[in-house]
Amino acid sequence: MIFEQIFDSINIGIVILDRDLKVYGWNRWMEVHSGINKEKIKGKQIFDVFPNLNTPKFIRGCKSVFTLGSFCAFSPRLHHYLFPFKKTGYSNQRFEYMQQSCRMGPIRDENNEIKYLFIYVEDVTELACREQIIHEMNLRDGLTGVFNRKFMGERLKKEFSRYKRYGGVFSIIMFDIDYFKKVNDTYGHLCGDFILKSVSSKVVSLIRDIDCMFRYGGEEFCCLLPETEIDPARVVAERLREEIALQENIFEGNTIKVTMSLGVAVVEELDDSYERLLQRADEALYKAKAEGRNRVVVSG
Amino acid sequence: MPESYTLTEEEREILQELMNIAFGKSAADLADVINTHVELRIPDIKLMPISELPAYVQEKIKGYTNIDMVEQSFYGRFKGDAVLVFSQGAGRGLISLLQNDEHEALESDPIDILETETLMEAGNILISACVGKFAEMLKDVVTYAPPMVVFNKHYSEAISLNHDKKDMAAIVMKTDFTFTKGDVSGFLFLITAQESIKWLKEALQSFMEQYE
Amino acid sequence: MIKKILIVDDSPVARRMLKSCLPKDRGFELFEASNGKEGFEKYKDIRPDLTFMDLTMPVMTGYESLEEIIKYDKDAIVIIATADIQMKAIKTVLDSGAYMVLRKPLKEEDIQKALSVAEDTLLKQKGSVNA
Repeated sequence: MIFEQIFDSINIGIVILDRDLKVYGWNRWMEVHSGINKEKIKGKQIFDVFPNLNTPKFIRGCKSVFTLGSFCAFSPRLHHYLFPFKKTGYSNQRFEYMQQSCRMGPIRDENNEIKYLFIYVEDVTELACREQIIHEMNLRDGLTGVFNRKFMGERLKKEFSRYKRYGGVFSIIMFDIDYFKKVNDTYGHLCGDFILKSVSSKVVSLIRDIDCMFRYGGEEFCCLLPETEIDPARVVAERLREEIALQENIFEGNTIKVTMSLGVAVVEELDDSYERLLQRADEALYKAKAEGRNRVVVSG
Repeated sequence: MPESYTLTEEEREILQELMNIAFGKSAADLADVINTHVELRIPDIKLMPISELPAYVQEKIKGYTNIDMVEQSFYGRFKGDAVLVFSQGAGRGLISLLQNDEHEALESDPIDILETETLMEAGNILISACVGKFAEMLKDVVTYAPPMVVFNKHYSEAISLNHDKKDMAAIVMKTDFTFTKGDVSGFLFLITAQESIKWLKEALQSFMEQYE
Repeated sequence: MIKKILIVDDSPVARRMLKSCLPKDRGFELFEASNGKEGFEKYKDIRPDLTFMDLTMPVMTGYESLEEIIKYDKDAIVIIATADIQMKAIKTVLDSGAYMVLRKPLKEEDIQKALSVAEDTLLKQKGSVNA
């Protein structure tokens, strides 16, 4: 009696399956979130009701509980959920389904024989949201909101190893704001920050969704253009240069215009690492500066 | 070490034989659960003060430079910690073994999450197979804390001493294992603390009584 | 009839467990060996009617000892008693001529059954020699 009340009032889902994986127990929480009453689901094979559970990992979990008496976990980080339930509440826009942390273990009879397994289901959507926000914060530059240098390394490394494995092509553009120090000295650091933000958001608005923009350091930036040959990459760089040169940045009544120098490089057979590719783009950028700034130079 | 915390030669032999039987059964059950042959070496049993444990473990695993570990505590009358030691990067070999169904996950999730989860699952299965079978033979039932994964440690840092336990005695059971598929191998240490030794002595005796 | 039984196992406890499962009223003569090499030597010496053999042992494994014994006496009745019950191990020993495989921990009824089939085989072997 006492245990039944706890079973139905506890704020986690509890499912009990027999050795044929037919539902034996289904608590109130599961009824509420699945919309299926326990009378309706009792005795049914769990895969008939939730075909998404029919995966090798889930079956392996059940087997290890029944043969080894082990406990196993389905973490939200890898599986997101076992039971596809709509999320509750209105606040989070990140996940369509409730994120779940689930654990599975044995239930024994008086002779210690394993007769059933239990699954408990915990709603961790809130936590997953927070984790995701923190994760994203870690990837972004605090001032401009574009990706940071640390993430640039990871992303370029991934893109590079994909290229080495599957072929294809991608380009990068390294660029910086000309005479940025002068802006800082003339109008102050707050204005400098404002320019960095305004340039960043303009560039982000000009590149495609699949492209990525990173702040490399100071006033230096980098764009990754996946699946892009050198010619279209140069066109993009040229467009960025033009648009930024035309943009009027208004800070405390002053209208400030800046220009950029850009170096473009496409990944090549000879590149032995993404660092090598970055270096080539950087060299092109320095050439652009040396040739008088406010221009695009292509590596090679 | 106080008398009651040591095992007699006979008790040690019974324990050894029981472990052999339990691990033989574990290997068969493992093959059933993960569809691959797992070779489990005959366990090596040592009784030592906990203070000697780190040096002992280091000596066994010194062939590895960097290691990944899975730790899991188990609770029953047979109570203690299981420590699995893999050569660093073993998780990748296990991914192909356990996650063949989850290629999508491989594309969209960072590899380290997948690696952690894979090590956890493999560790969990291996540990419960070995601990569970042994406990079952002595009519005990154990439960487990969730496993913890520790990545990329130097082998010499594998085990550190918990200072309030340092005077205690421990029975250490060491085995090595190889997953034939995936070519992954490592060491398993089962460390039972003093509290379990009294029970263990009784359980071993009563197990043998059926053979008198 | 079974008279002489040889038990080959490195663990004294395992030997004790096995002996306790044998019927006490049949007047068996029991012999013991603690590794495969000693087991083979004793086999040649004693010529037991029945041998129980463990697999994992120092000096010489049960696999090797079994092969030596069968090479020496193709009619030898060797019952493997092992904790390793994976198909691979079972197949290997059956291919090398093991009479039967028993799983540890041994149970009295398993041993009884094994003894009675082995006895049938022994009778037939004797029969064919006489004919």
